[in-house]
Amino acid sequence: MRFKQPSVLPGFNLAFGYTIVYLSLLVLIPLSALVIKTTSLSLAEFWQVVSSERVVAAYQLTFGASLIAAVINLFAGLLVAWVLVRYSFPGKRIVDALVDLPFALPTAVAGIALTTLYAPNGLIGEQLAKLGIQVAFKPLGVVVALTFIGLPFVVRTVQPVLQDLEAELEEAAACLGANRWQTFCKIIFPAALPALLTGFTLAFARAIGEYGSVIFIAGNIPLESEIVPLLIIGKLEQYDYAGATAIATVMLLISFVLILAINLIQWWHARRHGMRK
Amino acid sequence: MSIEIQSIAKQFGSFTALDKVNLKVETGELLALLGPSGCGKTTLLRIIAGLETPDSGQILFHGEDATDTHVRERQVGFVFQHYALFRHMTVFENVAFGLRVRPKHTRPNNTEIKRRVHELLNLVQLDWLADRYPAQLSGGQRQRIALARALAVEPKVLLLDEPFGALDTKVRKELRRWLKRLHEEVHVTSVFVTHDQEEALEVADRVVVMNKGRIEQVGTPEQVYDTPATPFVYQFLGDVNLFHSRVHGGFAQVGEHPVAGDGAVAYVRPHDIELLREPAPQTLAAKIDHVRAIGSIVRLELSLENGDPVEAELSRDAYAGQRYASGERVYIRPRSARVFAEDYAI
Repeated sequence: MRFKQPSVLPGFNLAFGYTIVYLSLLVLIPLSALVIKTTSLSLAEFWQVVSSERVVAAYQLTFGASLIAAVINLFAGLLVAWVLVRYSFPGKRIVDALVDLPFALPTAVAGIALTTLYAPNGLIGEQLAKLGIQVAFKPLGVVVALTFIGLPFVVRTVQPVLQDLEAELEEAAACLGANRWQTFCKIIFPAALPALLTGFTLAFARAIGEYGSVIFIAGNIPLESEIVPLLIIGKLEQYDYAGATAIATVMLLISFVLILAINLIQWWHARRHGMRK
Repeated sequence: MSIEIQSIAKQFGSFTALDKVNLKVETGELLALLGPSGCGKTTLLRIIAGLETPDSGQILFHGEDATDTHVRERQVGFVFQHYALFRHMTVFENVAFGLRVRPKHTRPNNTEIKRRVHELLNLVQLDWLADRYPAQLSGGQRQRIALARALAVEPKVLLLDEPFGALDTKVRKELRRWLKRLHEEVHVTSVFVTHDQEEALEVADRVVVMNKGRIEQVGTPEQVYDTPATPFVYQFLGDVNLFHSRVHGGFAQVGEHPVAGDGAVAYVRPHDIELLREPAPQTLAAKIDHVRAIGSIVRLELSLENGDPVEAELSRDAYAGQRYASGERVYIRPRSARVFAEDYAI
């Protein structure tokens, strides 16, 4: 395989060079600085920082809650996208615009709003408290906040795919005797799956790095509801830059591996179905 | 199974797609719905399939009212112009789909499904593609798979919506003949929609010519081509020359048809125009503008003395004997013509 495929489109060199420079300035150089700073620690010190009980608990919470939130968004997002594409109802445009709100809202505002609602004396929290469920200041609160900020990613990636899905496919399925449920499971869902995976990845990635909306609702109790980004900020406030970067490096590594894995699944899925050569 | 269409009407907003259409499709025949785009042929097909509901009228399947039967229960096979294959499934799974979605008690077991699918893939001569995905097939192959998939549920009626519309000319021709042979083999009542008159004439047992939501004529390919019932059918099926009797009084009588008064139009096919070098009774003088040899025929463009254009077609042999040149003056005479009253014209 050749590095550069012959193409009628001009400007490959320029565009490729620009891409590399851009990605380097914005992503690669800052991230390498992170890793370099970490190397000021000895291996033993590094290990001591990242394997401390509090840090491990935070890792578990951040990745666990992000995963749960992304899975919830996978289904909720599909449902919302489906409703927005398939049905017309009064105020549809407003609902459509509402979906983007978590994108636009300052995360701190979202965090405070959610906390007010879900706190034991809040509107929803009060009702849940009667059932013995506490959301705010518990890991559950973290999941709620992360679900909130991740929703638009799934909706916005799945919506255009559902929109473009030919009605003929469903008609063909109906002619062949499939009922609505079978058509959904066997035709519509598989068609939307690649987009769903993309949306899932985006929501998941965003949730891992989320800080603003979580710290208010989480309560930040060490070993219970403390997320990794908060730990990093904490280290920074104590001028423990090396410790902060050590925690960040591990987080970066895990995130990269997870996202790479999801991308590989997508790539394999596309290849298997002959959409790519 | 026969299909009876009784005064089916359908409106889309203010547009009349179908205007009280009546039609009977006989058991086992291959029927073509032919017409220009927007004539309602696809709507009629979709109503037969149950993909569209008529505003009024009835559909009878084998004498039984099926107007309110859901698509799922109609047992029709439908082939779409753009194939509508399931992209994420292999060719095998596409064909097996109709069998796999059956309720448990009527669903065949896996070995039976496998046998049936391979039988169908052999029928469409594409068994070797069973493990491929639709994206890896050519257009012609995709359409044959779509047909196999439609046949898998053993439909009582096969409906094809412009099945060859998205294919290039050569593949179209091949598939046409192939469809005809296939129909002779499986003999299921079939209706196909096309805007290509050649396709309809070549493949169908009977042709239904439609225009503006109405049926203009129903008949065998010979009937609709040789004895068109309306000026529309005459013009839609092949080229035609128009002679206005008011302009050239008496000319229309040449075709041995009585003229219905002054305002009549004679329709003459280009290959029914005879060219003479010498003036004879009941001929018209004309000038040859262009001579074009197209494959097996030679097409001559002429103009009458009043400037009206006339097209004539000669076989290569006939042309070789005469060697008409452009610019030459000749006399034309129709071998046969059909006369319609002027106000009846389009």
